[in-house]
Amino acid sequence: MGNDSLKDIAIKELLLHLADDDFIHSYRGAEWLGLAPHIEEDVASSSIAQDTMGHAAIYYKLLEEIGVGNADQLAHDRPAKERRNAIILEVVNGPGYYMKDPEYDWAFAVVRNYFYTQAKAIKLQSLHTSSYEPLAEVAQKVQMELYYHLMHWKMWFVQLLGSGHEEAVSRMKAAIEKTLQDFAGVFSLGQYGEEMVELGLIEGEADLQKKWIEAVSPIFESVGLATTFEIRMAKGDGRNGKHTEDLEKALETLSEVYASDKAASW
Amino acid sequence: MNVLLNDMAEQEKLNQFIARIEAGEKIEADDWMPEDYRGTLIKLISMHGISEIMGALPEKEWVPKAPTLNRKLGIMAKVQDEMGHGQLLLRVAEDLLKPYNKKRDDLMQDLFKGDLKFHNVFHMEAKTWGDAGLIGWLVDGAAIISQTNMLGASYGPYARALLRICAEEVFHAQHGEAIIMALAEGTEEQRKLVQDSINYWWESLLLFFGPPSKKEVGSSKQDVTIKYRIRTSTNEELRQAFFSKYVKRILSLGYTIPDETLRFDKESETWIYQQPDWGKLKVYARNEGPLSQERLSLRRISYENNKWVREALAPKVI
Amino acid sequence: METRQKTYFEEFEVFSRKTQTSPVQYHFSLLAPNEDIAIMMAQENFMRREAVDDIWVVKRQNIRKMTAEEKKTLQRLDNKDYRTTKGYGYLKKKWRKYEQEMLDEKEIMSWAGGVKNGE
Repeated sequence: MGNDSLKDIAIKELLLHLADDDFIHSYRGAEWLGLAPHIEEDVASSSIAQDTMGHAAIYYKLLEEIGVGNADQLAHDRPAKERRNAIILEVVNGPGYYMKDPEYDWAFAVVRNYFYTQAKAIKLQSLHTSSYEPLAEVAQKVQMELYYHLMHWKMWFVQLLGSGHEEAVSRMKAAIEKTLQDFAGVFSLGQYGEEMVELGLIEGEADLQKKWIEAVSPIFESVGLATTFEIRMAKGDGRNGKHTEDLEKALETLSEVYASDKAASW
Repeated sequence: MNVLLNDMAEQEKLNQFIARIEAGEKIEADDWMPEDYRGTLIKLISMHGISEIMGALPEKEWVPKAPTLNRKLGIMAKVQDEMGHGQLLLRVAEDLLKPYNKKRDDLMQDLFKGDLKFHNVFHMEAKTWGDAGLIGWLVDGAAIISQTNMLGASYGPYARALLRICAEEVFHAQHGEAIIMALAEGTEEQRKLVQDSINYWWESLLLFFGPPSKKEVGSSKQDVTIKYRIRTSTNEELRQAFFSKYVKRILSLGYTIPDETLRFDKESETWIYQQPDWGKLKVYARNEGPLSQERLSLRRISYENNKWVREALAPKVI
Repeated sequence: METRQKTYFEEFEVFSRKTQTSPVQYHFSLLAPNEDIAIMMAQENFMRREAVDDIWVVKRQNIRKMTAEEKKTLQRLDNKDYRTTKGYGYLKKKWRKYEQEMLDEKEIMSWAGGVKNGE
């Protein structure tokens, strides 16, 4: 890959952001299977996790098509330091493991899902006019499924915050604070961000973030929350390969069977 | 005098009820039904429903571990369906429970207390990716045989739920077959995964259909469910059907079945097989199976952890 | 006054329409704390594998169903040909006498796209 032009690198990096974000986000969603607040919601949110994994697969396929590697290998066989997902998406759902004592927090699930889905929708909107056509095409398709995801999580967000239930409201507020601590990582375009913008691949970080704030502000207001956002990247920038132990553990699980025989057909 | 009249009215209702189900009519939730019928349905359907919910757990363990993107998607969809089947069945059971003023919350509490049982297979450990495939292929295969047997059930809501469920089970079986086929045609290690799974699950598969008669475990619901036209075949007939459909398929892939006595007796047209340890059914019913407590604990933790959500959104008392 | 147990699990009945012109079809019931959550659950719970054009959720307590007694009112004698085209089938023969085709259901429904002018 030594001869890649800057443009090739920028395209590859952007596709990895998108693919890795959805891949790990879907994993965190899948960990909730069987554990949601009620059965009907379990079924409904599983569809969202599936769609999201489907989106990751589409992006990995685009990477495969430009010769970066096989889609399954890209999803399963890259160490944490090569991953490009935002750190907030790798953060565990709560203490415990999905198979043992999962002390998961639905408030964090709702907030992270709502915030991320809204950010994803804004990014996809921007990608509609991407100078990289294969991505522009894919963005239109993927966006179709986001209407449901967004409406679903927004509904939970509004209902829990608007419930007047003390514990619910305080849990939600804590989850908002926790998520915003690292949410700038979702907008980050990483070290090739300037090139991405110059090449017309996607809008800049500041624009994306501004649009996100515009989108969520009325929702915040509707439930009586202040709209002064302090969006940070406390744990570092996942786009540049900085990650936490949470991701390493997740990858171990995600690639357990794949890694048992990488050459085998499964 | 009044008592006598009441008895006569009851007897008349019962006669009409029996006539209706014998004419192939469907009984609906609001219809009059004998207590015995209601009780039988509640036991059967709540256990069926909660088993689907508990059954999602062993497979869920393999969702993130599935070895390719496509397999991850397939198994996620399957686990979703299991939860969905639980949803359908519990709704049916909950409507039957109305006269007792019991709701979903009560069913969950019954599960935690050990009063509501779940199927033996879901007390077992799914140790490998081979097990994940085998559950889809053979456990779902067994479930399809027992569920299609009740598609004509006299209780309309159950029959309708089963129709939805069986349609999805076809996908489940093929999803399981696809995993098994890839392993069976794979490396030595992969092939071995399947054989190990067959060996581990075989006895559970036989137990799944229930004892042939009362004498093995002291009780059996099969007679009453047949009487009320909820199902048509006996436990043993279903188990025989399972052998007929699956033994040749297992052997065709070059695998062995851990029962040297297993053979089809042409004269009696039945399968002769090593009886499983029927006592294990009682062990599982006491939630003392290999992973009974772990699975219950997962369910309990999630129920407790989400309590605030249910509290926060409960409609205010009118 | 109605006193009701405070519960997260309210019952909703779910209906859908496949296309803009199809009739509404009943699916199943689900539990949800309110109708906004119910409608958000409906498609994924019952229509994961089929296309739909619209979904309705109705709180079960707002559906008035028939009692067994009331269902008896649904029976009819089979003597109502006068309500249907079946009772007027003889017109076909009549019109033939006047060298005209009968305007039957098939013909009339075919006018949906406009009638071709002619003598």
